[in-house]
Amino acid sequence: MNGSRPLVEVVRLGQVSYQEALRLQQVYVNRHKSGPAHALLLCQHPPVYTTGIRHKPYPAHLLDRLRLLGADVHRTNRGGLITFHGPGQLVCYPVLNLSCFKKSVRWYVCELEKTIISLCSRFGLEASTSPHTGVWVGDNKICAIGIHCGRYVTSHGLALNCNTDMSWFSHIVPCGIEGKGVTSLSAELQRDVSVEETIPHLLDAFRDQFNCQLTDGRTADDRQRRN
Amino acid sequence: MAMRAVLRCLSANFSPGLPQLSPAARLTATRPPWRSCSPRTLSTTSALSTALKFTEKHEWVRVEGGIGTVGISSYAQEALGDVVYCGLPEVGQSLEQMEEFGALESVKAASELYSPLTGEVTEINTELAENPGLVNKACYAEGWLIKMTIGKPEELDGLMDQPAYDKFLKSLEE
Repeated sequence: MNGSRPLVEVVRLGQVSYQEALRLQQVYVNRHKSGPAHALLLCQHPPVYTTGIRHKPYPAHLLDRLRLLGADVHRTNRGGLITFHGPGQLVCYPVLNLSCFKKSVRWYVCELEKTIISLCSRFGLEASTSPHTGVWVGDNKICAIGIHCGRYVTSHGLALNCNTDMSWFSHIVPCGIEGKGVTSLSAELQRDVSVEETIPHLLDAFRDQFNCQLTDGRTADDRQRRN
Repeated sequence: MAMRAVLRCLSANFSPGLPQLSPAARLTATRPPWRSCSPRTLSTTSALSTALKFTEKHEWVRVEGGIGTVGISSYAQEALGDVVYCGLPEVGQSLEQMEEFGALESVKAASELYSPLTGEVTEINTELAENPGLVNKACYAEGWLIKMTIGKPEELDGLMDQPAYDKFLKSLEE
């Protein structure tokens, strides 16, 4: 184990399309080719349904029906089944090189779950894990997780419902798990909890759980100025 | 030495009971399977099969009759967690050494697989569609992933044998 804690750059993207976030993740993944360059991308997406590497459960006609609802639809190379991203949901994409942490995706996913559980407890909310990956409050999932790992570099990540419009989830079986529901920080705490309010708590929890240092990287404004 | 280590690894992947041999060893062993093979018997099989070779990405390859069987090591399946899906290539697909050829999904994580050698895919393990957990339960035997031709035999020399791989694993723990 190295003496110093790994440095992770926090990149606040604001509201970006799913496609743009994929493109940006790839930029940060590629940076790792010339040495450790960990980043934590934070964003929200316009309404979008995404699926993972298991294609069979989601034939084209099913995805077309979801498009009729006014959402974007994307197949991805992450693990996990179908989920929804939209305004009011804090989406976090850690692009880490696990060589600088622990070379195990099982460990990594577990650490992400613990990070969210810790975040929830900072809000006075008791969350837990289950045999199904993700973070749960009782029988309802508050945070979905789905990641990709190539040459120890991670992409995709987690999606925490802050004040998401939960009705979008009613059109799918979230993560393919029948009989369970979804929830959000706002629903559980019976008050409006925004993404903006949640971000500092996520960063604190992440820093503690992964025992790393965080620095502020690019923001959405920087990106616009550059373009 | 290498073969004893292979047998040890194979037996570690099976539930308590008799250690089982790979198909090649079964064909060539002159003794019943529950007795360990003599080194002399095994050395005569080297023309037909080789012991496992490993990559730094924790894949193994075993060559028999010019065909390489590929899988992931016990260390790798442990680091993944329970495999729920195997994304494998098509038969006939050409692979370069180190090229990504598929992915395994576990705990909502899709982890890429890298070809240990250059060659062409001749067979994929269709058992894994119904039973992806074989990758965890029997990573050196029934949990094999693909079989491929050996386009560049010299690449095998660059891979680690069992003792070298064991040493490599120890270095990772430090």
